[in-house]
Amino acid sequence: MATNPMHQFNVYRIGPEIKLGEVDISFTNASLFMVISSITILLIFNFGSKKNSLIPNKIQLLAELSYSFISKMINDTAGSEAKPYFSFIFSLFMFVLFCNMFGMIPYSFTVTSHIIVTFVLAAFVFIGVNIIGFIKHGFGYLKLFVPSGVPIILLPLIVVIEIISYLSRPISLSVRLFANMMAGHTMMKVFGGFVVGLGIVGGWLPLSFAVALTGLEILVAFLQAYVFAILTCIYLNDALNLHH
Amino acid sequence: MPKDSFKTRLEIAKNKAYKEENSNKNDKPTSNLGTAFKLSTELVVTVVVGTIIGFILDNWFGTKPWLILIFFFVGVIAGIMNVIKSAKKMQK
Repeated sequence: MATNPMHQFNVYRIGPEIKLGEVDISFTNASLFMVISSITILLIFNFGSKKNSLIPNKIQLLAELSYSFISKMINDTAGSEAKPYFSFIFSLFMFVLFCNMFGMIPYSFTVTSHIIVTFVLAAFVFIGVNIIGFIKHGFGYLKLFVPSGVPIILLPLIVVIEIISYLSRPISLSVRLFANMMAGHTMMKVFGGFVVGLGIVGGWLPLSFAVALTGLEILVAFLQAYVFAILTCIYLNDALNLHH
Repeated sequence: MPKDSFKTRLEIAKNKAYKEENSNKNDKPTSNLGTAFKLSTELVVTVVVGTIIGFILDNWFGTKPWLILIFFFVGVIAGIMNVIKSAKKMQK
């Protein structure tokens, strides 16, 4: 059993090595947990929407609750115009949520604690929002960088500032999720190490901390998925309704 | 008879749920915590992004170290402006 708190983030190969040219595309533990969470989501929503009874059973209730939760969130933050993108935001939220939650199971692997995973998700959002914005407004979308009511002397500086804050969106989106997951899991492992190190005499205090941290981490796991989805909505809103 | 009364009851419940949904739009405690996470990361990340842009432009134009310095401070300003913008939005 490794005591190194970073050991839990190791990515290792499962099964044979597969190479596509120079790129290593072998099946790893990260891919395994992504597949597990995707399959779980598919199963829950498949069974949840199969019977459609008026009085829902538990799985149907879960599916309907999450549907209406995300639907309401999109309506509140991005308006009714964002309805066509519901399926994208919903899958994004569910995937992040399930990856986070599967990471909470002991001995499992947290996919979202790797920045490359979260960055790819954020890059999808960023590129998609840009495409939507340019399709909808043409080159008028660039007005996003020129806020109205700014004196002409300050304009170059403001445009540079706006561009920097626009480019920082995908990075802050990915860093937030990755940093929260990684910091939380490292903390839990460190406190777990304290429990072992201090033994039966002094180990109770860190144990209680570890229990409290587990509760906090479950909250963070949900919250970060929610924040990821709601910020996607906000960026989508900026692209759909161009105003400053 | 039971089917009919059920339908009216469902209709009434739906109306009630719709009204409730529209009345309490402003109290979202989880979303406040979300805004806090958003602010803290944006403040840091804009500085990093500004510095990276400065670094790349420096390498392009060969003007080390001036652009990286300028863009570092522009990044700081952008981060603070983001926070002010969000704070103004929250006050509305």
